[in-house]
Amino acid sequence: MTQQSWDELGGALSSAEFRAASDAIVANIEQVIEGKTASVRLALAVLLAEGHLLIEDVPGVGKTKLAKALARSIDCSVRRIQFTPDLLPSDVTGVSVYNQETHDFEFKPGAVFANLVVGDEINRASPKTQSALLESMEEHQVTVDGVTYELQTPFMVIATQNPIEMEGTYPLPEAQRDRFTARIAMGYPDSNAELAMLDVHGARDPLFALKPVSDANTVRRLIATVRAVHVADPVKQYAVNLVTATRESPELRLGASPRSTLQMLRTARAVAALDGRDYVLPDDLQNLAVSVLAHRVIPTADAQLARRTTDAIIADLVHRLPLPHERQRSPYDNRPSTGDGRAQYDQRRN
Amino acid sequence: MRNRHLGFVAAAATLLAAAPLSAIYERWTWLIQCAVAVALIAGAATLARSLRAPLWAQLLGMAATLLLTLTIMFPSGDELLFLIPTPDTFSHFSAMTGFALDDMRSYGVPVPDRPGLQFITVLGVGSVAILVDLLTVSMRRPALAGLPMLAIYSVPVAVYTTSVPPLPFIVGAIGFLWLLAADNVDRVRRFGRRFTGDGRDVDVWEPSPLAAAGRRLAVVGVALAVLVPLAVPGMTSGLLTNVGQGGNGPGGNGRGGRVDLFAKLSGDLNQTAVTDLLKVTTNDPNPFYLRFGVAEQITNDGFKSLSSRGTSVNEGLADPRRNQPDDVRYREYQARIEVTEDFDMPMLPVYSTPIKVDDVEGRWNYDPGRQTLWSTAARSKNKKYGFNFVRADFSPAALRRAEIEDNAGPNQFIDTPPVQQVDELVAQVTRGKSTQYDKVLAIHQYFSEANGFRYNLVTEAGTSGSAIVDFLTNKSGFCQQYASAMAWMVRSAGYPARVAFGFTRGSQSGDSSDSKTWTLTNKNLHAWTEVYFGQDFGWVPFDATPRASVLGATRSAWAPDPDATEEPEATPGATTGPGADPTANPNTPQDEGNDEADLGAGLGDTTPTQSTWPWYTIASAIVILLLLALPAMRRRFLRRSRFRAASTPAGPAVASASGGVTVEVDVASAGRAREDAHAAWAELLDTMVDYRVPIDPTETPRATADRLVKNGLVGGPATDSARLLGQAEERARYARQPLQGGRLSDSLRTVRRAIASQAGRRTRLAAAILPPSVLLRWRLAIVEASIRTVSTAGRIRDVFARWSPRRLLPNRR
Ligand SMILES: Nc1ncnc2c1ncn2[C@@H]1O[C@H](COP(=O)(O)OP(=O)(O)O)[C@@H](O)[C@H]1O
Ligand SMILES: [Mg+2]
Repeated sequence: MTQQSWDELGGALSSAEFRAASDAIVANIEQVIEGKTASVRLALAVLLAEGHLLIEDVPGVGKTKLAKALARSIDCSVRRIQFTPDLLPSDVTGVSVYNQETHDFEFKPGAVFANLVVGDEINRASPKTQSALLESMEEHQVTVDGVTYELQTPFMVIATQNPIEMEGTYPLPEAQRDRFTARIAMGYPDSNAELAMLDVHGARDPLFALKPVSDANTVRRLIATVRAVHVADPVKQYAVNLVTATRESPELRLGASPRSTLQMLRTARAVAALDGRDYVLPDDLQNLAVSVLAHRVIPTADAQLARRTTDAIIADLVHRLPLPHERQRSPYDNRPSTGDGRAQYDQRRN
Repeated sequence: MRNRHLGFVAAAATLLAAAPLSAIYERWTWLIQCAVAVALIAGAATLARSLRAPLWAQLLGMAATLLLTLTIMFPSGDELLFLIPTPDTFSHFSAMTGFALDDMRSYGVPVPDRPGLQFITVLGVGSVAILVDLLTVSMRRPALAGLPMLAIYSVPVAVYTTSVPPLPFIVGAIGFLWLLAADNVDRVRRFGRRFTGDGRDVDVWEPSPLAAAGRRLAVVGVALAVLVPLAVPGMTSGLLTNVGQGGNGPGGNGRGGRVDLFAKLSGDLNQTAVTDLLKVTTNDPNPFYLRFGVAEQITNDGFKSLSSRGTSVNEGLADPRRNQPDDVRYREYQARIEVTEDFDMPMLPVYSTPIKVDDVEGRWNYDPGRQTLWSTAARSKNKKYGFNFVRADFSPAALRRAEIEDNAGPNQFIDTPPVQQVDELVAQVTRGKSTQYDKVLAIHQYFSEANGFRYNLVTEAGTSGSAIVDFLTNKSGFCQQYASAMAWMVRSAGYPARVAFGFTRGSQSGDSSDSKTWTLTNKNLHAWTEVYFGQDFGWVPFDATPRASVLGATRSAWAPDPDATEEPEATPGATTGPGADPTANPNTPQDEGNDEADLGAGLGDTTPTQSTWPWYTIASAIVILLLLALPAMRRRFLRRSRFRAASTPAGPAVASASGGVTVEVDVASAGRAREDAHAAWAELLDTMVDYRVPIDPTETPRATADRLVKNGLVGGPATDSARLLGQAEERARYARQPLQGGRLSDSLRTVRRAIASQAGRRTRLAAAILPPSVLLRWRLAIVEASIRTVSTAGRIRDVFARWSPRRLLPNRR
């Protein structure tokens, strides 16, 4: 348990090195998960964005598998918590026990003391237990009986859960949801992928044979590379506009937090880097908006009555929000200076 | 709040649309009155809406406001507390309407400030304001609001017989466009909350097919309203100026029956139908001309009528036989006239000089200066009346003695516009003549066939820029030109002269022992000159129009036919009808051309004379074509400059960022590459707009390029070109280093060609002639200006509210 700060990341990788390292991790995970490249890449992007990942879907679509495969692909400490209704907060954070021999209290660390924490079926535990993760996820520390313990770094929580309509689930509190950088859905594999799964997984689970292809050190350097990705001013503006739009939307009771702006931009950097670019595009933000924002916002009663999912609401906002104009204007561009010139061409979508 | 803005725009647009009315008024008083009325109506509408009144209540409120405004502006004096209308007010209003109709007949454009006309104008503009407000704000159909606004438009177009000043029409059109734009802005605003992430306005123009159709219709309508009267001279049927046929203005029976009392120095007479207007029975064996109107105010274009004055006929008429000179003979006759329904004027024709009028229905006045019967309420249509008149017969010898006393009333009728050629001609014609009569007679004789004067229903265009010089040069025209030209020349010689309107003798239809009956048709309408010879003689008629060409023309002893062979000097008191020309028998066959009336239907049909109008039309067509070509030229210019930008040799490809480390780069060439990419991209967007490929402001360059490829708009080599353009723009916008070394101009050309090949023929044509990208940008500019105006108005209102005296009142105690 060496204490290592995220800030001591090591040097950034060249684009070729970055590509090799990231492709190796993705390829490794894909040995286990068939036909889910987008989800796998996004999961990796969240890791490189120093965030936490929530995988939400119906049972049996490979959520646990993805979490475990990601954890296995990187050579670092991994802990797994199976959340159940009788799980106690102390099981997560740790507990102080009285040692008869030393006549003193001794801290027994809980499951969060690892680089990668896989929290399976997180919404099956009581809200009290779920909340035990709050402090650790945001502040990378745990406080038990008034004593604060630093967590290891890197630290990432990969949680899986069933949709809240499912039986025996406790919805995650808003504060908890807001701490997850992204929520992804697995979705059913297409028929080809499912056929391939039968061939490969029919005999034995390839997860057991999965070898780590990377280590904590490489991951740190990957993260350093992601941090260097360029974000132009209009893109930052666009991120802010997107988040503002959720706060102003008449369909949403609760909009997205500034934390989400930060995390969205970080994830966009990671996605851009995985795509081989050293600059972020608004396209990246558009593609990420639903994953990053939809699980944090709360629809109004009206929208709920109309069976509008937050995914649909966020997707709609993205479709309606014009791009901000470039800061430097072309001298040949005679579009009016007030507002976005392209507004004149708007074809409203409904 | 929004509605209030829109209501403001509706009111302002109505006023702007009323701008063309400036063409028919001499002064701007009407505008002030209309502005007050429209503002009050808009205020009432705002109030009604803020009380959430239903549509009918809004309408009622605005109508009541208009009524109150009219009552205050045009009071009859019988109102309660000066503003509550009483039955008297309404009868006053109908009298005002009558005045207005009279004024319409008696004035040429531009008209002075006349209460009747102003009343009608405020009523009309106010009603349009109500309609526009209802259609725009309450019913959200601003395109329809163009119809009442076009109604105002049509007034000057119909009235103006020469040329329509274009500027006020453009102002009006701008008003309408503003209304449409403001409505669109408002529609979008209420559509939903605007994203205000960085304070930008989102989508201003909603492509609603209805509004678009309305806009297109409006533009076509405006263009037609301006163009048609310019281009087709025979088509204008004057609202104010019509006789016998055509015009069916308010109060008419669909056939008009009115004569414009404006003697033009140029014009065109087109007339086909013959309509009986009067039946005259008189014991005057050889009657002279019937008179009903006088034009005494001279303008560059001719003579126009001033307003009538005088007292009721019931108070008696003055007898001219006060101090008879020996050699002027007066004879008294009676006449009875039946007017048909086709002669509808606020005046009654009489022989000169009437001394007694009996049993005429309605309130009629007698103007002693003009010797005419007129009314503000009654009309000549279907009237039957009798009158006694004294007919004067002047001998040339008597007229030679005439002297005009100083300070006599008619002395005001001697001024003319300064036209040197006329003055010189008059000096030449009257050289060697000493008396007034000899000079006038010389001028009269000047209009002879021997001098080259011909009768013609259409005047010829001239180049002098002065209508009278044109006529005196071309020597061709009809009665109005002869009458007004002679009056002008007599004035130029220093004697009062005016133009009289009336009827020639007509055809004899009945004969009893002591009286004859004559039928007068629109072909007998005529105009001639009257010259003032002092108190003893009064106004003496001279008819300068070639006699042979005027049906029923007669000549008098003192003004013999210059074309007749016999000695002009008639022996005083020689034959039967003194003053009657024995040769002038209405029943004798006359020239071929004379079946056309002289002062006929066509006073209103006078348009820019024959050969000037093609030039006028061609010039305006060229101007319009130039205006239409403007967007295309703008587009060409833009494309040129963008292509030039996109094809500048790209700087040396510089190492770009690798591994997160930025390599030193050539900043200048990077900046240029960025500009080039932007230029190429802007051109691609404009191309898409031109060829009606939708543009999505929420789309990134990459997504736009992908969409072009996916929708099959570009294919083959153009696929890569489109992607390259997208990539270049994307990197120019978002990357540290722009794409360099790409052949953007070639790609642009390829993509343009690919998109154009996918478009329909009509789209391609529109893209070439009226590129939508330019039009959209201009429209957007209008919208922005409108937003700015509205918000400035709001700010000004706030400032005023802050300084309102109400704030100074103690509001708590
Ligand atoms: N896309 C997939 N590729 C490969 N295996 C899959 C996929 N989806 C589901 N499976 C298989 O289905 C089983 C259930 O997966 P698991 O991750 O436990 O589901 P849950 O979503 O309930 O956590 C696993 O054995 C896994 O191999
Ligand atoms: Mg599971």
